[in-house]
Amino acid sequence: MTKDRRYGNFSLLTSFGLLLLFLCQRVSLAAVHHQRISGSAGDVLEDNPVGRLKVFVYELPSKYNKKWLEKDPRCLTHMFAAEEFVHDFLLASPVRTMNPEEADWFYTPVYTTCDLTPNGLPLPFKSPRMMRSAISYISTHWPFWNRTEGGDHFFVVPHDFGACFHYQEEKAIERGVLPLLKRSTLVQTFGQNHHVCLKEGSIVVPPYAPPEKMQSRFIPPSTPRSIFVYFRGLFYDVGNDPEGGYYARGARAAVWENFKDNPLFDISTQHPSTYYEDMQRAIFCLCPLGWAPWSPRLVEGVIFGCIPVIIADDIVLPFADAIPWEKIGVFVAEKDVPNLDKILSLISPEEVLEKQRLLANPAMKQAMLFSQPTLPGDAFHQILNGLARKLPHDPQIYLKPGQTVLNWTEGPAGDLKPW
Amino acid sequence: MKKVTGSSHRLARMRSKNRSGFNSEQASETSSRLMPVSHFRVFIQCMFCIGTLILGFRLTTESSFLKASFQNPEASFTRISARTDSSASTGTESQFDLQLRREFANGSKGSRLAYNGTIVHSSGGVRVDVGRHAILIRPWPHPDPFEVLHAHHLIKRVQLEQQQLYGSKESKPIIAITTTFVRTFQAVHLTGLLHTLSVIPVPVTWIVMEAGGVTNETAHFLSLAHVHRLLHLGFDIPMPAGLNERSKLEAQMRVEGLRYVQKEKLEGVVVFADEGNIHSLEFFTEAQKVEWVGAVSVGLLGFAGFEESPQSGIVHVHDGRVEARGNHILLAARQAAAAPRFEPQVQGPACDSNGNLIGWHIFDPLPLEGEVHKGMRAAQNRRLEWANFVLNARAVWKTEGNQPEWIRSWDEWANPEDGSTPDIKAIVRSDQWVKVLGNCGRKVLLWWLRAEARADSKHPNKWILDESLEIIVPAKSTPWPRRPVRRAAPPPPAPAGGTGMKHGAGSRVSSGKVRRPKRKQDQTNVS
Repeated sequence: MTKDRRYGNFSLLTSFGLLLLFLCQRVSLAAVHHQRISGSAGDVLEDNPVGRLKVFVYELPSKYNKKWLEKDPRCLTHMFAAEEFVHDFLLASPVRTMNPEEADWFYTPVYTTCDLTPNGLPLPFKSPRMMRSAISYISTHWPFWNRTEGGDHFFVVPHDFGACFHYQEEKAIERGVLPLLKRSTLVQTFGQNHHVCLKEGSIVVPPYAPPEKMQSRFIPPSTPRSIFVYFRGLFYDVGNDPEGGYYARGARAAVWENFKDNPLFDISTQHPSTYYEDMQRAIFCLCPLGWAPWSPRLVEGVIFGCIPVIIADDIVLPFADAIPWEKIGVFVAEKDVPNLDKILSLISPEEVLEKQRLLANPAMKQAMLFSQPTLPGDAFHQILNGLARKLPHDPQIYLKPGQTVLNWTEGPAGDLKPW
Repeated sequence: MKKVTGSSHRLARMRSKNRSGFNSEQASETSSRLMPVSHFRVFIQCMFCIGTLILGFRLTTESSFLKASFQNPEASFTRISARTDSSASTGTESQFDLQLRREFANGSKGSRLAYNGTIVHSSGGVRVDVGRHAILIRPWPHPDPFEVLHAHHLIKRVQLEQQQLYGSKESKPIIAITTTFVRTFQAVHLTGLLHTLSVIPVPVTWIVMEAGGVTNETAHFLSLAHVHRLLHLGFDIPMPAGLNERSKLEAQMRVEGLRYVQKEKLEGVVVFADEGNIHSLEFFTEAQKVEWVGAVSVGLLGFAGFEESPQSGIVHVHDGRVEARGNHILLAARQAAAAPRFEPQVQGPACDSNGNLIGWHIFDPLPLEGEVHKGMRAAQNRRLEWANFVLNARAVWKTEGNQPEWIRSWDEWANPEDGSTPDIKAIVRSDQWVKVLGNCGRKVLLWWLRAEARADSKHPNKWILDESLEIIVPAKSTPWPRRPVRRAAPPPPAPAGGTGMKHGAGSRVSSGKVRRPKRKQDQTNVS
């Protein structure tokens, strides 16, 4: 009897001790700054692409790239500036090779988004012809395009709808991806599932946001986050869609109409000078779609630790195979927008803290930025990692000599004019 | 939900789809189990269509209205969360939840995807939909109180985590000593202070010393404070009018407060939270670092002029308020416009490059020229304010304090034999033992707002009018003389470049020409 009791006491003690150990672990986990990120492709955010691939950069005449910059230097600061910065990065990168025979990937530096209106918005009307002209240049001056018809080439097309080269979704869908780019890999900001303008195998990158501008505006992290939901931007695009319903598929207007009186929602069209500071004092930042589903708000939210609430059906977010966005952001369907406050307030605190921990991971913040000078793990390296993950090339992309797959006369007649 | 456009038929289908969207989410976990539910949905759809055709009005609208009014609107969501409880760990909860939504979305939309390059102009439904969409508006969009409560719990938890991760590890209780007396601007100053003290994360003991005895009015304000412990003590001597006497009385009141700390042997950090001061919460976290005696920098807000004051001696100090005299206003304005530098006055410790205390910055409010009012010279008393210092409560204990020998004992400094005003700086024998806080005094963590109403101004008790006023006279001219105040500090220059008078559209700014009424308006707008 006593032996049993002693055994019972002993087992009780061990279980109590184990419980205590478990609790201690939980407690120590409670005050952890950040958490490791691993996406569907594994723990690849911090991979180093050097040595895993080689990129050859074509030397195009300056009319395709430098002339545009000289004409309008605003191209280096707007949200499509990724094409210029990727070019600069590759020219100086250790993955660049001067010997095209050993290259895995070929890069064509053509700045299709640099034809700006006086207001600063890019006009895509000449872009298809410019791209065709560039491709015909490289196909005549080097043999590598004809070898695969672009299967091992990649292009950076950061415009609204990528290689569809139009800012209006209807027209972009009509045009579709430029036929000559059908076999190439596209690096673009646009990403939406089951959409013509997102080609299979494209690499989705974040829009360009100037890193210095954001990193100079940090406030102490102990500043308590007191804003529940934050958003600054248009709800109705009065110039192009005064009645509402086209812009953002009515989602932004729904946000405004439902939550303009809600004190938990700090939403407005007025852009304050403390925009970045306010984001750091907010828990959730809305990232609804606009005319295109992506926006720089995602990047800003990640940098400033504000959980992005993504309201864009079927959107494909940047580096989706490396970053598990479902764990980091909150996805709300456009039809659920009227219930947004319910959805957000019913998220459990543990989940919110977990998301904040993932966002606090410096690798995460680094991956969203096109840092100048380049740092390990930044967006440039993530692009290279993405390209490296696609290696080795499928041997089917190599065409037999004389075989052609692309139809050079395909596409609207206006595109076929030389540039 | 109310939709903006669409025929009743399409609406009925969409509405039932939306409603039964929740039903199907509730009913099944996998997409395979959606099949029997979709039959049910179609059936309901048909019934509503037939009913609509027969009855002639939108049956679905009424039914959904009835359903919403009787049903607990949270039911659908709680059911989703209940389901996710069944999954094992918290980490997969959100993934599961969102996977469910996406599966459903893919399931319903994928099956109807017939996209091969055509554009569909319809509202809702097919994937690539570039037509005009309905703007979905909830019938009762006002916030639900339970959701607001949840949201506030969330905010509180996030802030707690932030404090644990990034806040200071020490949490000594704060003992705030404040002196006050009933006057017009008491409400302004005291309300600001009480809200600041209510949100400090550590326990706060607030000792309020009131000159003229305890009054109901002050008690009314203090009842709004959420502090750990509130002590409202009265001091029988009423607050005098002159600045010099006021500061003396305030010093005595603070000593009384410290005597209370000593008597009750309170533990923590003593801060002198004056009424007119604006504290940043960082001040209270910085104050935690004090070992025995600490010094902080106090900035000055309000019209006190600058050290390099204008030659003509235009500005005077009278009861803490700045007035500009007569027709020198134009000269003052021109001078202000000419020298657009804005230098905030800061009083506090001065350090050398190693971070050691080598002296003190003390501001001299004004050189007095021209008219001098009695009792005004004391404003230049070149003493540091009590607010500049932060103490460890044990420093004022009589026994068991274990104070180091460089802290004077209570009897030495608090009751000076010659009857002079006790000075807080006298608590240490030499300056070298004072710990400088706030990045060696460079960070200004609290601001002294020197703004007071005139001593003879009237205000209703507790700022509440119990009965309506018997006689109402429009105030075209105020009983006291208009004294347009000289702008002592031009605001920081606007990006469009300015002569310092930043204002919205409609102010014509030309240097050297100032219109008096406009400036007064400017004052109230910008400040």
